[in-house]
Formats: sequence, C-alpha cells, structure tokens
Amino acid sequence: MSAISLEKLTKVYSTGVRALDGLDLDVGDGEFVVLVGPSGCGKTTALRMVAGLETISGGTVRFGDRVVNDISPRQRDVAMVFQNYALYPHLSVAENIGFALTNKKIPSAERQRRVRLAAEILGLSDLLNRKPAHLSGGQRQRVAMGRAIVREPSVFLMDEPLSNLDAKLRVQMRSEVLRVHKAIGAATLYVTHDQVEAMTMGDRVAVLHGGVLQQYGTPRELYGRPANLFVAKFIGSPEMNLFEASVSGDELVLGSQRLTLGPAETVLAPYRGRKVIAGVRPEDLELGGGAGGAALGADVRVVEMLGSELHVFFAIDAPAAAASALAATAGEAEAGLLTGQTLGGVARLDPRSAVRSGQRVTFRVDPGRLHFFDPDTGAAVR
Amino acid sequence: MSAPALAPPAPPDQAQARAETRRERKRRERLEERDATIPVELYGLRQGTVTLLTACCVLFAAFTLVPIVWMIINSTKTQANIFSSFGFWFARPFEFFHTFANLFRDVDGDGTYARWFYNTVLYSVVSGVGATVLAALGGYGFARFEFRGARLLFAVVIAGLLVPITLVVVPLYLVYAKVHLINSIWGMIMPSMVTPINLYLMRTFVELSIPRELLDAARIDGASEARIFFRVALPLMVPGLMTVLLLSIAATWNNYILPLIIFSTNNLFPATVGMGLWLQHAGNSGDTNLFPLLVMGGLVTIIPMIALFAILQRYWRGGLLLGSAAN
Ligand SMILES: Nc1ncnc2c1ncn2[C@@H]1O[C@H](COP(=O)(O)OP(=O)(O)O)[C@@H](O)[C@H]1O
Ligand SMILES: [Mg+2]
Repeated sequence: MSAISLEKLTKVYSTGVRALDGLDLDVGDGEFVVLVGPSGCGKTTALRMVAGLETISGGTVRFGDRVVNDISPRQRDVAMVFQNYALYPHLSVAENIGFALTNKKIPSAERQRRVRLAAEILGLSDLLNRKPAHLSGGQRQRVAMGRAIVREPSVFLMDEPLSNLDAKLRVQMRSEVLRVHKAIGAATLYVTHDQVEAMTMGDRVAVLHGGVLQQYGTPRELYGRPANLFVAKFIGSPEMNLFEASVSGDELVLGSQRLTLGPAETVLAPYRGRKVIAGVRPEDLELGGGAGGAALGADVRVVEMLGSELHVFFAIDAPAAAASALAATAGEAEAGLLTGQTLGGVARLDPRSAVRSGQRVTFRVDPGRLHFFDPDTGAAVR
Repeated sequence: MSAPALAPPAPPDQAQARAETRRERKRRERLEERDATIPVELYGLRQGTVTLLTACCVLFAAFTLVPIVWMIINSTKTQANIFSSFGFWFARPFEFFHTFANLFRDVDGDGTYARWFYNTVLYSVVSGVGATVLAALGGYGFARFEFRGARLLFAVVIAGLLVPITLVVVPLYLVYAKVHLINSIWGMIMPSMVTPINLYLMRTFVELSIPRELLDAARIDGASEARIFFRVALPLMVPGLMTVLLLSIAATWNNYILPLIIFSTNNLFPATVGMGLWLQHAGNSGDTNLFPLLVMGGLVTIIPMIALFAILQRYWRGGLLLGSAAN
C-alpha cells in the first residue's frame, strides 16, 4: 500500500483550463518521487490538490487507504515547502519553524526541543532569533524546510524549492534536501521543472506535460527507454538527436545514408516501407566508422569545448523529425522549436578528440542504442 | 580576571541589537531611505524644469498653510484686534491664555467648547476604531475569500462610496426618528463606522501585501481560519489599518452635517456643530467676544489631527513583507 496514491486526478479551473488530466501516481513509504515538466504543465496544481489547497474536479487522492478528497488541509497533516517559501515575515525563525506545533498546542518545552532539533538538522541554530528579512536566500529556503520537517510529517510536498537559488547553491541544496529526506523518511512528492534535478534526486520520476502524465519510472528507465518523443526530448542534455527516417528491409534510411539495423530490425517490422522517427543520444555517437555498428557520415558545424567533454554539432542530409510527429506529444509551440534546431544533431565526445568545424566525420552507432518512435503518435516503438 | 572575560559571549545577533540605540536606528533608517530614493538630478529633467516644479509645490503648500498661520497669529488677539490689526502679525494685548481659558466656560449660554471637544474625541475614536475593525474584517474577506455574491456585494459597497451623506439626510433623519437614534450618541457613531472607502482601501491593501501562499502555508501548518487572521494576516495589515484608522477618525472629527441633523441637545454636539452655533450667534450680536473663541476653537480642533498624523506616520514605512518570499 502506498503512502500517497492519486487516481485519475483531474483539475478543471473555472476559467475552463484543464490543468491536470487523469493523473495516476503512487508514492511508496519513504519514497522520493519527483514530478517534472515544463512550466504550466500542472505540477503546482497537482501538488496543491494533494495538500488540499485546491478543490478536486475529478479522481481521488488517498493517503494510505484513506480517501482525503474532502478533508481540509488542516486535517490532512501534510507538510509543504512553497516555491516562494511563504515565510511569516513578522515571526522569527524559531517562531516560523514552531508555528505548526503551536497550532497543535504542543507544550512549550517539547516544541522548543523539536524546533532546536530541526534547526540543527538544517544548520539554522545560530539564526533562530532572526526575522526572515535578515536571511539570505539559502537560509530562507532552509527555514521553509524546517517549518515542514519539524512536524515529523508522513507526507512531504515540495514545490520547486530550489528554483530561486543561484546555480551553485542549488546543486549543494539537492544533496541537502535528500539528506533531510533520509533523516525523516517521509513519502515525498517533489516538483521541479529542471530535468537534471529530477534525474539526480528522484527514486522515481513522473514526467508531466500539458496536464497529462507522459511516463513514470526510475531515472534510468526514463533515460534509457523514453516512452514517447516528449520524454525523449525532455530528459537528457544535450537533447536526444531525432531524425525522420524510413525502414527499408533490414536497413534504416537516413537521407542518403543507410544504416544496418541488426537486432533492432524485428521491432521495426511493422514499419517496413514506412516512415519512423529515429533517435540517438549524443553520447551514443562515437568517432570512427567501421569497427562494428553502423556508420553515419556528418559535416561538423560547430565544436563546443566544455572541458570535460566536447559537444560537436553536425549536419546530415536527413530531414529533422517532422513538426507533426513532435506535435503529437510535444505541443505545437515546442514542436516548432524542436524542428528548428534539429536540422542536424549533436555528439558528445571525448575532449581530446581532434575534431574541427567544417570537417567531414564518420560516427559509429550501435544499432541497439537507437530509439524509435511512431511519427503519428509519438509513442516509442519497442 | 575581569568580569567580561568570564561572561559567556552574547550571540552575535543580540549583541548587535543591543549596540544600536533607538536614535542610531532612526538615523540609519533615515539614511537608508535617502539611499533608496533616486536623486532628482537623475530624473533627466532640466534644471529649469526642476525649479519651476519646486516653485509650484511651494506656492501650493503656502496656499494651504496660510489659513493655519493666520489662525495661530489671531488666536492671540482680542476681538477688536482680529478685525482692525494686520492679519499676519501679532497685536497687543496678548490674549492667548485668556481666550484658551474661555473655551472651558459657557460664554453665551450655548454650552462650552470643552464639552464639544470631548464629544468630538469620543465619537471619532469609537467610530474610528469601529470602522477600522469592520474594514479589516471586510477587506480581508473580500480580498482573500471567494463566496457566492462577492462581486455583487462589493459593487454595492462601491456604489455606497459614490453617495454623499448630504444626499441621504432626509431619509436618514426619518429612519432615525423611528428607531430612536435622534439625540443618541449611537446615531452618530454607527453610521460613522460604515465607511465604504476604507473597506475598499483595506481590500486593496490585503491583495497587494498578503500573498495567498502565506495564508495557504498557515493552513498547511494547521492553523484555524481565525488564527490565520489574527496571527498571520492582521500583523501584516497594520500599515493599512493605521491609514484607515486615521482617515476614519478624521472623517468623523470633521463631520458637520450628520451631527447637525441628529442632535438637538447642545451638550451632545461635537466641536464642529458647537462652533457653528457660535458663529451664528457671533454674526447676530457683535459684542459677545465670540470671534476669538472661534479662532481658538478652530486651532484646538485641528491640532490633534496633525499630532495623530505625525504619530501614525511611522506605520507607513513599507517593507513589512520583506523576507517572506524568496527574493
Ligand atoms: N487559479 C487558477 N485559475 C485558472 N487557471 C490556473 C490557476 N492556476 C493555474 N492555472 C493554469 O493551470 C495550468 C497549470 O498551472 P500550474 O499548475 O501552476 O503549472 P506549473 O506549476 O506546472 O507551472 C496553467 O495553464 C495555469 O495557467
Ligand atoms: Mg508551479
């Protein structure tokens, strides 16, 4: 039995916006689940419905086996960290953290003990008498966390808690948040728009787009076996290269080039003589043809040196995945963007590789590492 | 060794707070405020424009302040001197204290100014506090709760804003007669507590200064709605409430028409109506020496308002929400 389970959770705002459409999700005891998706995809809406701050248009929210749809946030006993922290500006750090305990009429001595403990876990012990105005962004973020963990919650919700921090602090706080999560062991639903955050933090990750769940699985599954074009594009940076191709016998036709498919051939049987969208991750392209796998010739356009790796942007004569195919899952605006930049692709290479712009290179591709998607539905072909 | 070495070191924060005296804090705040304002040189205006605008402001200020200066000067004069000497300079004999003492006497059988002043304070403070409480509750409700008919109700409030009391004097009088509010202090206080403009102000203030997320956070923290209002919202509403308090006290303080129609007993009059009565008598019979009293009464009436404004001013400082949100 899961700590939190959402079943066909739906939200239609009075403006007619369908912010969330039939979300099914379960969070196990002590599990850290990340809900990720671009801005406006319904993440906050979902979280607020779980917290009880938003009415539910359809579906159910369960904590354990208890349906909590009609229970007020006060009685749901969830802890939540808001995107903008929402600290009480007129109360000190200690009072902010202890506010929930005061509401529960916990005796003063016990309350102070718990506030001190929470402050210790978060490194706030020296700041207990300060007002939020006199704290840095990172410290405010910690107070917001402290306010949540002091209650020893069984359900812990976080709405983009790190998005207001600068890049370096954000990376630090990721492991901090996970450390706190391990310490309190509450089932956690964590919302972010940042796929790196999702991949590095989540036990499991749910990708949401346009209010619809795209895929729910471990970071490894999402990366290795994306369920559709949207997930394929959304997870991973640089993004997966996607090309429009066609299947001819046991070969994949990419523009003027032909790749021998090998074992991937069987799943593509239904697509013989038809179009398919082929995807390959930038790190699955290796320099030097011939030595096993299929060869792909490309013209190098731009080389970006990142120190630890080399990003090589290249062009081939295969058309980029058609807008219509991407639109099926990615939404029209994004589809336009995607095709715009997919006139070629990008490879992630060893920084010592001797590649210059303008050069003609041959990449070696393991056919087993190719991803295929249906051009009409965007769904993965497996 | 010396005692300070043995004492445990104070936490850095408290030490800092103790080191800064009230005066130093005031000074720091003043300087911070100065740094936060853009100097006029950076507005991109030409020097001539700045001079012209400044001159306009000075003229306007003089225009509004002249009567007050006149009042201060003439409060020291006898009735004869008020009419015969130059209005903007002093003239002997110096009658200030004599006239002031007369405010406490019944000079012409109409009643004493002291009594009317007391009434003014009573009506203004009670209805000011009442208006503030109502505006706080109503403004918060309209700003942060959705309920059936909210828009219609608020439209009615706004409509109320547009109706001047002079327009409803006759129906008000007739209603008051029926419900025995003529010559009752509640007849004065109750309508003064209902101030659409303050409700409107408070709603806007709450919308701008109390984020929904803050109230949601308190709900998540298990606070009841009453507790959220008193412990979270109300402390943040203080600057708005002070504005409303000042405005509603001033409105009742200066109200003339309402007390004029509902009071017929002299000792219920507020200062405005009492002095109106004096003015009538002074006009009818020139020799009762009522003009110095009118000038002095006017002066005494405006001073508390100026003082109140000065006292409440510090609540206008912004920045109460500072630190609640991420940036
Ligand atoms: N109170 C509201 N009323 C109407 N529409 C809303 C409201 N809140 C959010 N929405 C809409 O619902 C969609 C999802 O919003 P939200 O859950 O805030 O997205 P996210 O948190 O993923 O950025 C958006 O299109 C947004 O405009
Ligand atoms: Mg959001």
